[in-house]
Amino acid sequence: MLQVENLHVSYGGIAAVRGLSLTVAAGEVVAIIGPNGAGKSTTLAAIAGGVSPREGTITYGGMGITGRRPEDIARMGVSLVPEGRHVFATLTVEENLAIGTYMLGHRSKTSADVAAVLERFPRLQERRHFPAGRLSGGEQQMLVIARAMLTQPKLMLVDEPSLGLAPLIIDQVYDILLDLRRRQGLSLLIVEQSTSRILKHADRIYVVRSGAVQLVDRAQALKDGEAIKRAYFGFEEVRA
Amino acid sequence: MKIPLPARFRTPVLLMAGLTLLVALATAIGSEQLNFTLTEMLIRMIVVIGLYMFVGNSGIMSFGHIGFMGIGAYVTAWATLAPEWKQVMLQGLPAFLQEHTYPFPVAVLASGLVAAGVALILGAAIMRLNGLAASIATFAFLAIVYSVYSNWESVTGGTSSVIGIPTVVGPWTAVAFACLAVVAAYAFQVSRYGLMLRASRDDEVAAQSSSVDIVRVRLVAFVCSAFLVGMGGALYAHFLGVLTTDAFYLALSFVTLSMLVVGGIGSLTGAVAGTLAVTLIVEILRACERGFALGGAQISLPRGSQEIGLGLALALVLIFRPAGISRSREL
Repeated sequence: MLQVENLHVSYGGIAAVRGLSLTVAAGEVVAIIGPNGAGKSTTLAAIAGGVSPREGTITYGGMGITGRRPEDIARMGVSLVPEGRHVFATLTVEENLAIGTYMLGHRSKTSADVAAVLERFPRLQERRHFPAGRLSGGEQQMLVIARAMLTQPKLMLVDEPSLGLAPLIIDQVYDILLDLRRRQGLSLLIVEQSTSRILKHADRIYVVRSGAVQLVDRAQALKDGEAIKRAYFGFEEVRA
Repeated sequence: MKIPLPARFRTPVLLMAGLTLLVALATAIGSEQLNFTLTEMLIRMIVVIGLYMFVGNSGIMSFGHIGFMGIGAYVTAWATLAPEWKQVMLQGLPAFLQEHTYPFPVAVLASGLVAAGVALILGAAIMRLNGLAASIATFAFLAIVYSVYSNWESVTGGTSSVIGIPTVVGPWTAVAFACLAVVAAYAFQVSRYGLMLRASRDDEVAAQSSSVDIVRVRLVAFVCSAFLVGMGGALYAHFLGVLTTDAFYLALSFVTLSMLVVGGIGSLTGAVAGTLAVTLIVEILRACERGFALGGAQISLPRGSQEIGLGLALALVLIFRPAGISRSREL
């Protein structure tokens, strides 16, 4: 469904991503993990069209989407949930969600779609007339995911969904994401810093460091964690 | 999104009712000075509402909207002045303007449309810039309009005044257009375009990933707001009867922006309230500048107190109520 080949992205001469390749199959949950500054978020941004790659190709559903505009890529069914809970702070929860439906173009269904999504998020349902800026961190993360769901994506790119959230809330966020996969066959590409949780949920793991893939394997095969540690930190643990 | 009907229309209905009541009271008193002040305020309110439509919803400051006002004012002058006068003073006008006069409603509509047309061309170029760069570009636009109109003598009369524009705008006409502006601005802000624009103001990244075409929604708002401001300029011309290019430059830009900031950039209620509040402050200071007798002694504030007072009011609001007296909320 998604192929990224030999991706290079630079910010003003500084290379953030150097020759990264990855694939996501339909219905698959793939995780990118790695230390700060590894190029994980940049990779997601490049796929979503937020930054232009210097080199490399991105193919989605058999079509080249390299360097296309973010709103066009979103319309093709790729939805980015950016890091840091990007809600529209002064708009109400309901208005935030309505924005999600606009790109689909069928005006009459907006309120029905919003209502259907709200049913799955009881907390948001209660607060639907609140400005989104006044929600808690967890609620905001839910809202962003709910809004992304309303664009009816086939592939969701989720950047650090657990950042700054309480463990209990993180579990809820993952429950919702995995439930989406189960019910709608959604593919997920998730960027994470913490490895333990993602090992449980993902099908395959890419470990990225210094802008390139260091290790890729099925999550099952990486359970013991030693291989990840080596790839993550880039050196062998020396045991006395 | 089903909001019950009354709640949905509460803001514009309350604002329109308030303004109409104000005009009814003032005309009942019947002071000519009061009517004059009120009419001028309502025309400025149309401009401030137009400004709000773009600035408030997009979050991008515009220093150039008074340029649209000037454009609108001159369009209506060209359309409504007597042909004999135009043939002598404005020889550069095309024949369809020089040889004919057009009725007031046609001229006002044309003013709005020409301003909107200019905004479309300008906006297409600058709406892709980021916020601050776009703001500076709007300021450059104001400077360009000012120099062109001050020097294009055969069409604008240059720095000399254009006189003899029919003065047909009084408080009732002004309030009718102000109500129209309220309805237009409110309809825009609750429309899909308005919502998408406000979303892009809150968070550009999230708006893009929700597939909002930011450049386009900004451009739509810019053009609509220029239309209102252009009409406001036309009404101003038909209120004063005299035009000079100096009237549409820095001083008026400062006053209208202060009105918006004092009222609260983020709401239509703020645009209306700010215009009322700033007009009140300016009128009080103006009265003090003229001076008044106190126990035989004549007391008056020095000239320029108006500007200083307005600056102070602006600073105080920004310090104590950064979201304006409306707190950028609607009624």
